[in-house]
Amino acid sequence: MPNLLNNYMQAASVILFGIGFMVLLLNNNMIKKIIGMNIMDTSIFLLFISIGFIDGKEAPIIVDAKVSGLGYVNPIPVGLMLTGIVVAVSVTAFMLALTIKLYETYGTIELDEIQMIKGGKYDT
Amino acid sequence: MTHDLTYMLMTNANFSLVDSFKLTPLLTIVILMLGAFSLPLIKTKKGIYVVSLLLGSIAFLLNVANTVYVAMHGPYLFDIGHFPAPFGIVFKIGEIESVVSLFFTFVMLMISWYSYHSLEKEIKDHRVGLFQTLTTLLLASILGIVYTYDVFNGFVFLEVSTLAACGLIVIKDKEANIKATIKYLILSSLGSGLVLMGIAFLYSVSGHLNMLYIKEALSQNMTGNENLILLSLILFTIGLGLKGAMYPLHIWLPDAHSSAPSPSSAILSAVVIKAPVIFLIKLYYLVFGFDVVSHTFILDLLLIFGSLGMIIGSLMAKAQTELKRMIAYSSVAQMGYIFFGIGLGNKLGLVMAIYHVIAHSVTKSSLFLAAGSFIEQTGNKTIKDFKGIGKEMPITLGIFTLSALSLVGIPVLPGFISKWNLAMASIETGKIYLLAVILASSMLNAVYYFPIIINGYFGEENLDGKIYRSKSKPIKALLSLIILSVVMVGVGFMSGVLIDFIEKGIYL
Repeated sequence: MPNLLNNYMQAASVILFGIGFMVLLLNNNMIKKIIGMNIMDTSIFLLFISIGFIDGKEAPIIVDAKVSGLGYVNPIPVGLMLTGIVVAVSVTAFMLALTIKLYETYGTIELDEIQMIKGGKYDT
Repeated sequence: MTHDLTYMLMTNANFSLVDSFKLTPLLTIVILMLGAFSLPLIKTKKGIYVVSLLLGSIAFLLNVANTVYVAMHGPYLFDIGHFPAPFGIVFKIGEIESVVSLFFTFVMLMISWYSYHSLEKEIKDHRVGLFQTLTTLLLASILGIVYTYDVFNGFVFLEVSTLAACGLIVIKDKEANIKATIKYLILSSLGSGLVLMGIAFLYSVSGHLNMLYIKEALSQNMTGNENLILLSLILFTIGLGLKGAMYPLHIWLPDAHSSAPSPSSAILSAVVIKAPVIFLIKLYYLVFGFDVVSHTFILDLLLIFGSLGMIIGSLMAKAQTELKRMIAYSSVAQMGYIFFGIGLGNKLGLVMAIYHVIAHSVTKSSLFLAAGSFIEQTGNKTIKDFKGIGKEMPITLGIFTLSALSLVGIPVLPGFISKWNLAMASIETGKIYLLAVILASSMLNAVYYFPIIINGYFGEENLDGKIYRSKSKPIKALLSLIILSVVMVGVGFMSGVLIDFIEKGIYL
């Protein structure tokens, strides 16, 4: 238990990951699925950044060539997560575009209802 | 690029022209990435194909040069942007990377060429440029996954390849495609979430992203972190298993592969599902190391899933009525062979897994393209409609037969070589009962491929009323397919050379 409290960031991010994962997997509504995916990705960003963060240290920006005596927070996880956010945003955008297409074709975004419909507007 | 070259010229006193070959992997990716975005600007269909085939040929020739260089000078590391290893991204080009990327570029080039004669029958005219953009982008990202020596870089390339592959499925714009793409994208983003989580755990233990440095840090920080390492190993296996269609996680594959246009199906089956597997192998042996991996249950898990995939994938294929769906399920079974080879956990098994990546990519792409031209010329989809097709399209069915024979495991053809050596590898590990799995899977392959071939060529009632070569495509449309099948036979004939070459660079 004390372990869990000390690493509350990690614990929280794993719980969030679980929530996002389950929403993405089990929910039938496309928009909710996308929200679930975003929760999942955000939890990973939280985990990554909490790994690199050290309490009381400065942001890794050097001003006037003076190096801070306090030391810096590890900048690499932040940089990585910037890339991760870009990836997540592009996947989200693509998924939303597909959702629009899905709605145009079937008139609904509930995947279980779509399973029931045999032929849509553009039947193959 | 020129800056790179001059930098190398100026800083390295021992620079020789031969060393400039080390630029080829980066050069290939840069050319493909830049070229991909210039394609939608071209208006005419011919122009699009000229540029995309040119890009493909350049990539292929650069890969040939690179493979020759690796064969002569051995493996090498390449720092991108000249930052030294722990900070910058590094490419590792060894025997495996060079030969796998050589075959991937070759297969993509042939599929691109083939699509010149068939694509506009399946997708709208104005989307041809987009299709070529996506394939070029896909090839660049796949090569990135194969070359990379940096886990996060691999993840980013994996995401690019997933999005490009989704685009290749949905480009047909039918309802089945939209449904299949959504299924693929959802499962794929689950997979990439798991992979990213695995990288996060790995980073928390090691503090590095470069594979070599992670491995060193892991071996020092082993005690107390066993569970975390095991957890990240499981996350990688499931995440990449989802993307690579490992048996119980394959559910997206049949829909996606059967609904996509035929050139897309060939690309998806030949290249897209292979790249995550290559990344998985790299993670197992370059990041965790054989000692760590073999002390966990992961390899046994892969062996079980691989065996199940080989059997159940084939059984599912037998049950299908649509030709392309059947071939898609056959891909699940063939991916089973690759996971089976990794799961055996010995050197021969791993070599054969990589050989099968190459063998399957040339075989399945020609199978999908042949099936695509049946569907295109007759307008039918179901297997029973293709009776007597051998009289109408003899050459195409001939190519189909050759590829099917390879998958069934007829000697000399590549499928046989990998089955034989996988059998040898399973004897080597002392698990003789695994031979039954290989044998059963081969039998099942024969059960669902042979009826198509036999009904296609023979039978009085099947050939009745069919006119010889009435639906045949012109020979210039089939040329790429013929070259592909010739190379497939070559992969079987030259298997000794190829296996020796892979063995030289094996990670074990």
